[in-house]
Amino acid sequence: MSQRTLWDRVEMAWAMLSGGKRHDVEGARQREARPEPRGDEPKTRQDGFSEEALPWLDAVYSFAMRLTQGDGDDAADLVQETFLRAHRFWGQYERGTNVKSWLFTICRNTFLHRKDLARNRREQPASQMDTELDRIPTAPLFHVRSEDPERSFFQGLIDDEVIAAIDALPHDFKEVLVLSDLGDLRYAEIAQVLDIPIGTVKSRLFRARNILQEKLRDFAARSGYLEETAT
Amino acid sequence: MKGMMNTMSCEDVMARLWEFLDGEMSAEDRRALERHLEVCGRCFPVYDFQRAYLEYTRQLATREHAPPALRKELFLKILELDRAGEAG
Repeated sequence: MSQRTLWDRVEMAWAMLSGGKRHDVEGARQREARPEPRGDEPKTRQDGFSEEALPWLDAVYSFAMRLTQGDGDDAADLVQETFLRAHRFWGQYERGTNVKSWLFTICRNTFLHRKDLARNRREQPASQMDTELDRIPTAPLFHVRSEDPERSFFQGLIDDEVIAAIDALPHDFKEVLVLSDLGDLRYAEIAQVLDIPIGTVKSRLFRARNILQEKLRDFAARSGYLEETAT
Repeated sequence: MKGMMNTMSCEDVMARLWEFLDGEMSAEDRRALERHLEVCGRCFPVYDFQRAYLEYTRQLATREHAPPALRKELFLKILELDRAGEAG
C-alpha cells in the first residue's frame, strides 16, 4: 500500500468514525477550488475522496432525512448508496466543481430512482401548486409579543415542529428549500442539482419559505408568541 | 431582473428581499435595498424576521448528524471496495 493510500485511509477513518468532521467543512469548501493534481503526482481513481466528499456526510444525511420524510432507516440506506456511488464514480467527478452539489445530485437521483414519484406528481402537479401558492401572502402578517421579537420567535420554536413542517411541504418546494436553507447551496447550484431554470428555483424557494413561515406562524400563535393583525 | 435605481419602493424591496438575504443581488441593487431598509419602518421588521428565519434554519441543519452506525458501515464498505480495487 502506498503512503498516499495509507494516509487517505487514515483520513477516511477519522472522517467517518469520529463524526467530528463538520468543523472541516470550511476546509472542504476551500479544497473545492483546488486545481487538478499535476500529472507527475501519484493519483489513484479514488484519490481525494475521503478529504473532499466525506466532510459532507452530515449535510447529505440531513438532505436524505428530508427526502425520506424523516425516516432514519431509509435516509441511512439512501446516504450509504449515495456515497458508494460517489466513491465508484469519483473518477468522473470534475475537480474544482462543487462536490457538495454533486453529492446532493447523486442523493436525489438515487432517491428518485427508488421511488415512484410520478404517482405523487399526478396527484398534485407543480403547476397546480404554483397556482394555489400564488394566494399565499409574501410577508408575515402578524406582530410578535416581545421586545426582541425575532430572537424570541425562533427561540420559541421546537426543532421537531419545524422539521415536521418542512417534511409536509409539497415535494418540489421542499427540495428547493432544503437545498437552500439547510444545504446552503446558491440558486445556480440548486438549478444544477434539480435540472431546472434559476427562475423556477427562486419562485419555488420563495413560495416554500412563505408556506413554512405561515406554518410557523400558526405554531407560534398557538404557543402565545404571536398575535394576529387585522389585514 | 432589471437593475434598480438609487431608491427602491416598498414593493420592490418585498419582491427582492430573499435575493438580498441570500446574497444573490448585484452590488448596486444591494446598496439601494440597504438604503431603503435604513429608513423604512415597514420593511425593516420583515427583513429582520426573514434574516432570523435563515439563521435559524441554517443552525437547524448543523444539529442533524449521520448516526455512528451509518458512519462505521460506510467506512467498512469503502475500505472493502478500495482493497478489492487494489487487489484487482
